[in-house]
Amino acid sequence: MIGALFKGLGTTLRYLFRKPVTVEYPEVKRPVRERFRGRHQLKRFANGLERCIGCSLCAAACPADAILVVPAENDPAAPNSPGERYAARYEINMLRCIFCGYCEDACPTNAIVLEHQYELSFYDRRSSILTKDDLLVPPDKGHGEIPPILERLNRRPSPPAQIDL
Amino acid sequence: MPDVTLVIDGQTVTVPAGTNIVDAARVAGVAIPVFCYHPKLKPVGMCRMCLVEVWTPKIDPVTRQVVIGEDGRPVLALMMGKLQPGCVTPVGEGMEVRTTTPKVRFAQKGQLEFLLTSHPLDCPVCDKGGECPLQNLTMQFGPSMSRFDYDDKIHFEKPIPLGDLIYLDRERCILCSRCVRFQDDLAGDPVLGFDNRGRAWEIISQSDPPFDSKFSGNTTDICPVGALTTADFRFRARVWELRPTPSICPHCPVGCTISLDMRYDRLMRVMPRENEYVNDIWICDKGRFGMRFIESPERLRQPLVRKGDALTPATWDEAMTLVAEKLNAIRTHAGAAALGGLASPDLPNEDLYLFQKLFRQVLRSPNLDCCTGAPGESEIVDLGATLGVGKGTNLSNLGAGTAVLVVGADPEEEAPLYVLRLRGIVARGGDLTVINPYPTKLDRTPARVLRTRAGAETFVALALLKVLIEENLIAADFVARRVQGLDDLKARLRNHSVASLCEAADVAEDEVRAAARAFAQASNGIIMYGRVALAVGTDLIDALADLALLTGHAGSPNNGIIPLIPGANARGALDMGVYPGAGKKRGLKAREMWTAAREGRLRGMIIAGMDPVRDNPAVAEALDALEFLVVQDMFLTETAQHADVVLPTASIAGREGTFTNAERRVQRFRQARIPEYNTPAGWDVAQRIARSLLSIGVKPAAPDGQGNGSNAQRTSANAAGATVSLDQWDYVVAGDVADEIATRVRGYADTTYESLGLTRKPQWGRQPNEAVFYDGTSYENTEGVGVQIAADADNPKAMFSLRARVPSQIDINSDRPYMLLAAPRAYDGRAWSRDSKLLPRMVAPHLLLNAEDAAVLDVAPGSLVRIVSEAGSAVLPAQIDRRLPRGLVLAPDVNGAPLSAVQTGPLTRIAMMAHIDETVETR
Repeated sequence: MIGALFKGLGTTLRYLFRKPVTVEYPEVKRPVRERFRGRHQLKRFANGLERCIGCSLCAAACPADAILVVPAENDPAAPNSPGERYAARYEINMLRCIFCGYCEDACPTNAIVLEHQYELSFYDRRSSILTKDDLLVPPDKGHGEIPPILERLNRRPSPPAQIDL
Repeated sequence: MPDVTLVIDGQTVTVPAGTNIVDAARVAGVAIPVFCYHPKLKPVGMCRMCLVEVWTPKIDPVTRQVVIGEDGRPVLALMMGKLQPGCVTPVGEGMEVRTTTPKVRFAQKGQLEFLLTSHPLDCPVCDKGGECPLQNLTMQFGPSMSRFDYDDKIHFEKPIPLGDLIYLDRERCILCSRCVRFQDDLAGDPVLGFDNRGRAWEIISQSDPPFDSKFSGNTTDICPVGALTTADFRFRARVWELRPTPSICPHCPVGCTISLDMRYDRLMRVMPRENEYVNDIWICDKGRFGMRFIESPERLRQPLVRKGDALTPATWDEAMTLVAEKLNAIRTHAGAAALGGLASPDLPNEDLYLFQKLFRQVLRSPNLDCCTGAPGESEIVDLGATLGVGKGTNLSNLGAGTAVLVVGADPEEEAPLYVLRLRGIVARGGDLTVINPYPTKLDRTPARVLRTRAGAETFVALALLKVLIEENLIAADFVARRVQGLDDLKARLRNHSVASLCEAADVAEDEVRAAARAFAQASNGIIMYGRVALAVGTDLIDALADLALLTGHAGSPNNGIIPLIPGANARGALDMGVYPGAGKKRGLKAREMWTAAREGRLRGMIIAGMDPVRDNPAVAEALDALEFLVVQDMFLTETAQHADVVLPTASIAGREGTFTNAERRVQRFRQARIPEYNTPAGWDVAQRIARSLLSIGVKPAAPDGQGNGSNAQRTSANAAGATVSLDQWDYVVAGDVADEIATRVRGYADTTYESLGLTRKPQWGRQPNEAVFYDGTSYENTEGVGVQIAADADNPKAMFSLRARVPSQIDINSDRPYMLLAAPRAYDGRAWSRDSKLLPRMVAPHLLLNAEDAAVLDVAPGSLVRIVSEAGSAVLPAQIDRRLPRGLVLAPDVNGAPLSAVQTGPLTRIAMMAHIDETVETR
């Protein structure tokens, strides 16, 4: 019986001298995999126009009914997005989202991308609904390049060129 | 027509000769893809999408006999040696059609590849996406890859407005000409056409203002791509997100079956719902684009109570207590006859029924009307209840053998969809006679047009009667069985000849004779009368009734009279008994109520959904003389501003109910959203008032005392005890009111919500979802086609007497040589038009003059004209219409037209002079 006790403590002792697998989470953050699906971002084109054209296909594809899109017509003088249509409202309920990435697949302009941000906690349910202001990347960064996974698979993305952009 | 038997993809079908292959294939359940073909339009074979292999029996050129092969069956040969367009190829005996062979598939793929060479494929931003035949057929039949380079596509400037309401995206257009053919053939507004050639071929509007048609919205429904979209629905939502709610258009007596397509609680668009008895798959623009008032921010949200000079918001309890106390006080100290009620003929049946019940049973006042009492308003002379078109009438089946008389009506303005219905009858071989003092759009239909002297329409009707008598065209059998007073009528007409009657009306005698013969000899006869006929008065309506009776066109399906009485539910208002003569005791008419109010005999009023001050500002004085006025409306109308209590109500989107249309078809509409601002339905407002009155001790009349007079009650339903609970005013839902209507109102026995919902039947889509196949969108009708209720004439024992008499000649007054007639306008700019895209089309007040009259008065188009009658005068800008007869002045009855100041009656004699602007003179 004593022998078993020392055997167990010995294991503990051994691990004391190994490099720990855990990290000090808030201070140290573990990188995620490239294909990790975290919080969404709405991307822009290099010229600053929103990629989202308000087509609601993401909302149609969403199995959790987490996305709300209310489209509107672009002002030709000051367009929000290329073409006639843009999303006047774009909201994702993060409590509903199951991070399946179907919205990414459905998006004809690669506007919505599930990025690597995974720190999603809220003080109330209302703030779990991310609005377009929260989702849209600032004009000066993140120009919605083609996701690396698609490049690696040498697969053509759903063709943005076909929507007269 | 003889039937033809043919084989389509191995299935044997028998169809009438003359059917085209696409239709025949639909019978066999085979879907041949089409773009330009539409079952409601004539085939043109433009898109070549319906190419199929057609094999016909080989004919020996020498013997002209069918060649029989070794197996004993006819040898088949490919027709013309190539593929044939199915939509323009009629079926033939022994034909074999193959729609799935590699050759056909190759042609379909090639055709779609070609169509897509100039299609932008912007489906994600296209409003048609999701209900687009091009999308559907490309997925089903098209190639997966295109060999054409995207950069080679033709690009046009994105949408150009084809009119205020319709946008054209020329890149998306596949030039099928459905819209052009709809406008030319069905709507009779040939305002669209093709321009340029080759790849620059495009649709243009040829009218000014552009796309000037009241049916333009329908082109977006039948457009097989997203080329035509409505300004009203552009980028509002994707079609798969919409929740279509069955509804009924509340704008005119046609009562089109529509869907309110909602997203959450917002109205996104209005779509037609198929109902071949009412509107087929069409609706007019007023119904499609004139529904934005539902979400107007100007809607009343809570009851308003007058405190001093201002109307201040109050709770329902406060308002109801005040209403009950005041009405009860007036009733106690001045008697029930000092109370009066006006209810709009636009309200649903449930509201009207409880409104009259509140008055007859609780307040015990007989003073009820559904008119505004404006001086120009005509007396409602109603033939719909007695001689209305028979139960089972279906205008969309009528054609050859049908004669229609349209008397004193402008269907395009009063009930627009009837233009399509009547044009359809004519297109199928029917006979149409239009009797009207001024030109209307129906004149463009191949029709016999009798342009009468204004006010003399009665003489035309009498001339028609005289021709029937003279030429012995009377339906002797029907007259002998069911009509009294033929000898008296003959005696009354003895001193008049056809020629003299025609001369009195200023119409050609041979035309009148032709019309009489056509009407008498037709197997189906329908008379439609409208606002001008009502203005002319009882003599004309009596003569029209006699016309229907003498020719035997009454009491059977597809025969009878269709009255177009102003108001979407005027038929229902009359049936529910919202008119002074309906009860046992005769009450005051609207016009008498205003006099009584001024004289202090009428002390309290409830006005529901009506705005008499708008049409007749003089009424304001009478309203101010009242002790207490309750107005129930959606908006703070001019009338409501004079009220002591204003009660908000829900629109048709926020409640359910039924409407009765001009052909007495009762149709149900469903609640599309939670009531806007939690406003109650109109019937519930009446119920709340009644309950408050009962709670302060008002004793209601015995159930028998409340009644509909001529609409005799079914006494069995009132047997002791059975209906006591109904008189407790404990209606929970509209269906409870409808159930009571079914037991109490004559003819409505079969109109409970259960039975209205049961009247489904497969409609023009011979196959399930055929509409989806042709138009991409579905007009599916899940809520039934409604129930048509019987007219008196449908009872084979009902007897009628002839009442036509010759009126005195119209006196010509040299002081006032012109006749002023208020002309109805669909786009009248009234409460319904709030926030609508139709606002630019609203008719501004003006006068229409004949060109010669204008020349005599030295009036140029747009200059001001002063009109003077016995009642007063008004100044309006003039417009000139060359086709208008001399001496007639039309004043469109629109919002802001100062007609009540001038009119002495429906027909007003006026003097007219060019108006000299005094402000200019003094300067």
